[in-house]
Amino acid sequence: MSFILEIFLYLATGGFYWWWTQNVTFFGLAPNFIFAAALCAAILSGPVKAIAWGFFLGLYADMLGSSMFGGYALAYTLMAYGVYVMKRHFDLDSPFSQLVAALALSWMCMLFYQGLSLSFSHLNPIGLKIFLAEPFLNALAVPVVFQVFYGFKRRFGIL
Amino acid sequence: MSREKDAANYAVVFFAALSVILLIFPASKMAHTARIAVSYSFYPSLHYGAKYGHFVRNVPANFLALLETDQENRALKDKVRSLEIQLQNQAAQVSESDRLAREMRLSRGLPWTGSWARIINKTPADWYGSFFIDKGSEEGIKVNDTVLGMQGERAGLAGRVLEVYPKFSKVLLLTNSAASSVCAIEPSGFEALVEGKGTWLLKVNYVPEESALAVGAELATSPGGLLFPPGIYVGKVTKVYPRESFMNFMTADVAPAVDVNTLKEVFVLKRSLPEDLAGRAEKK
Repeated sequence: MSFILEIFLYLATGGFYWWWTQNVTFFGLAPNFIFAAALCAAILSGPVKAIAWGFFLGLYADMLGSSMFGGYALAYTLMAYGVYVMKRHFDLDSPFSQLVAALALSWMCMLFYQGLSLSFSHLNPIGLKIFLAEPFLNALAVPVVFQVFYGFKRRFGIL
Repeated sequence: MSREKDAANYAVVFFAALSVILLIFPASKMAHTARIAVSYSFYPSLHYGAKYGHFVRNVPANFLALLETDQENRALKDKVRSLEIQLQNQAAQVSESDRLAREMRLSRGLPWTGSWARIINKTPADWYGSFFIDKGSEEGIKVNDTVLGMQGERAGLAGRVLEVYPKFSKVLLLTNSAASSVCAIEPSGFEALVEGKGTWLLKVNYVPEESALAVGAELATSPGGLLFPPGIYVGKVTKVYPRESFMNFMTADVAPAVDVNTLKEVFVLKRSLPEDLAGRAEKK
């Protein structure tokens, strides 16, 4: 049952991100809810599940773009592992620490993806506008997504 | 704790290796299968969400449109009756024109055919790179089909179909850094390569010095480029860069014919491309 609910949550995350990008973007900017979900799943879940969530959400993000297939999957997989290591030293349950983590990890993921793209396809996939603005939007989104995921975890025992 | 750490290490190695394989072999069967498998997770949003969202959003407008349509319908019925008479007069002229064209061996350009598609997803991180449309292989969309957008009253080149799924397709925009098209600069007809920059502007490269490229010059697809049919409006030159002393060609910035920020619908041209360019559509 929890597996089906996790699939539902995965699809709902993608669906919500799609709805948001179609209806609530300003100047082509929106929080990256796929990233936010990957980070929240990494904070809430055990390491193996967190890494799997990172990988599959990364694949979803890869499908949305036209650049490398597998780039975001790798970035989010490594991010989930990084969060697992970080969790042992920092408290990531408070909104402020999530905000800081989201800000730092957004930039790290973008730089990592940029590096991958430059080495694999010699393309510069991330625009300056996205690079400068999206991490702040992600930082605002992560504590909210965390509360939603936490609610799911507490009520249905998933993640 | 140690068991958990081991499991985490195995998991990260497994998924990272899987990602790297997908990255290194993007055209492999495995990557292809992964793409199709992940594409099924798009169905709730890109297919059903877009379909019913569009319906729900348009309910008030549709109701008003229904009332207007009724009035319009009555007026059109009258108009149809008068046009029927004109049509019969025209039919005789058309058959005469056909007969003359045949006897004088005049070639007749085939009109473009295709279908309209709605844009159902634009990702902020890939704003100038790609978008999804609500038509797929079930509607006859094929890889590398030309995609046109309307800007005002004029059609312009938006890009081409990159990936096709049963119910939706991904379009690679001309503004994508990986996209390009061979174009003719009007009115001289000099050919040059227009490339995407990943921003709202295009770049035209390899323009011969003697082409007298100037701001305001219009570019259209050239017969030299096999991917796109010739004569499609691509954009207008906005800035010409002076020639470097060590180069014998010029470059310029081009404002694309189609502004991706305002694009809602596109027209997908159906063409019979050569086998090697046509690509393979995803099977259901």
